[in-house]
Amino acid sequence: MRRKRLDSIGLWIARGAIAAACLIPFYWLLNVSLSTPSAIYKMPADYWPRPAVIDNFRAVFETGQFLRNILNSFVVASLTTLLTLALASPAAYALARLRVRRKDLIMAVFLGVAIFPAIGMIGPLYVAMARLSLIGRYPALVLPYTLMSLPLAVWILTHYFSTLPRSLEDAALIDGCTPAQAFLRVILPVSAPGLFTSAALIFIFAWNEFLFALIMTSTPESRTVPVALALFAGLHELPWGTIAAATVVSIAPVLLLVALFQRKIVEGLTAGATR
Amino acid sequence: MLAPSLVFVALLGAFPVLSQFVLSFTHYNMKFADERGFAGLDNFARLATDATFLQDFWQTVYFTVISVGFELAFGLAAALALNRIGRGRATVSTSVVLPWALPTVVAATMWSLILNDRMGLLNSVLVRLGAIDTPVVWLGPGLAMGSIILADVWKTTPFVAIILLGGLKSIPDQYYEAAALDGAGRWHLFRFVTMPLLRPFIAIALLFRTMDAFRIFDIIWVLTGGATKTETLSIYIYRVLFRYSDLGYGSAMTVALFLIVFLMSLGLLKIMKVTREPLQ
Repeated sequence: MRRKRLDSIGLWIARGAIAAACLIPFYWLLNVSLSTPSAIYKMPADYWPRPAVIDNFRAVFETGQFLRNILNSFVVASLTTLLTLALASPAAYALARLRVRRKDLIMAVFLGVAIFPAIGMIGPLYVAMARLSLIGRYPALVLPYTLMSLPLAVWILTHYFSTLPRSLEDAALIDGCTPAQAFLRVILPVSAPGLFTSAALIFIFAWNEFLFALIMTSTPESRTVPVALALFAGLHELPWGTIAAATVVSIAPVLLLVALFQRKIVEGLTAGATR
Repeated sequence: MLAPSLVFVALLGAFPVLSQFVLSFTHYNMKFADERGFAGLDNFARLATDATFLQDFWQTVYFTVISVGFELAFGLAAALALNRIGRGRATVSTSVVLPWALPTVVAATMWSLILNDRMGLLNSVLVRLGAIDTPVVWLGPGLAMGSIILADVWKTTPFVAIILLGGLKSIPDQYYEAAALDGAGRWHLFRFVTMPLLRPFIAIALLFRTMDAFRIFDIIWVLTGGATKTETLSIYIYRVLFRYSDLGYGSAMTVALFLIVFLMSLGLLKIMKVTREPLQ
């Protein structure tokens, strides 16, 4: 009995330590974002902001450019999510339920796209986007992101669809529906949980992507949040307080998604892994 | 129903991938465009004697082995501690998922605030404790790679922990009960029930992490830009392609990186199959 109690105390200490290790960098970021420049460059630094000021946040929104960057990220991530789901869900349904010839080959193509180094795809895609004069516009990011998130989405959704009972669409097929109709009218409506999980993962991926965004955006106005953050340093001479404040602002949407969907995200990742 | 996605992949994916393969066999530097021509295996021969490529290759291997090693160890420990969590589940798992869900650029910014030698948290704590007299340049020569690995481990251990947690949840309670009835102690339960059943999940985490770590770009780009012996293959390729405009040589490096990652994942998949078979 006593041993059990000791165990559970030890376990809770471990859990507390894990949460603390994850959260301390966030605390420090918040601390810097609320500090004055002189407090930031104090060594050793204070562990909490004295005095706490919101000047850094004001500086972030002074020009409206960062708001524009946030809007860009939001549009790009949303369009990527919609396009990827529209392409991936019928493909995943076919792979999960229909007799597909050369299934292995198709999976290998998706896997190949997932493995190919992104750095190598950028050059040719840049040339293609430049020919279509799309550089600095949303499709220049949405199309490559869709390409890159497609394999994972197909993977997760194939797994999800194969867990649904077959009797669902059997009735529809007997009533004379084609497989496509059965998918649209019967399967999709009951697949909301699986679609939400994939959507959250795709959105997070597109919100976070850096390498393509760095090269495919030509002007400060067309940048997404990660690029704007990384290039902050080039604009002024390392205004750490402003960088920290901008970082805090950029975390907010991800924090919201994680807090709302953490259970679904965990399930989606582990479902992908058990295949 | 597969057609739309396959057409999309063919239009958008096949073109860049194939053009990299084609370019890798040509001499093509955009700065000397008139010297363009078939190169045979010249670019690949150049790889074998390029000291920077070889150095970056070993730095990439070092980064991959050390960071993935720590991520697996910490991820397993965290998964064991978080399994069967009751109260506080939402809070703890939100804080664990968060580092993984953040943009890598954001994580790198957070760590440069901690590691900075003029204002960082780490130096402040160490100075206060009296462990050091003057701030250490954590992102300077000798220490930079270790600091980058620390930041990467922080950012991606959650991913490993989540995968392994899923694995732990898939092990039926009866197995533990049966083994306990047979008199197995805790270590034996872990060694002979948990570990064998968890192995496929460890292999998946290992596969995904190794593939990503070997192609690492953004965390290094933000923290050091590849200075002081922290340059990895992706960063070198970025330099060759976009600064030197050497499309032929850069493409050959891309193809080489692809082949390395491809062979690595095949190898890992093979190990995975071997470990999975006895279970079925």
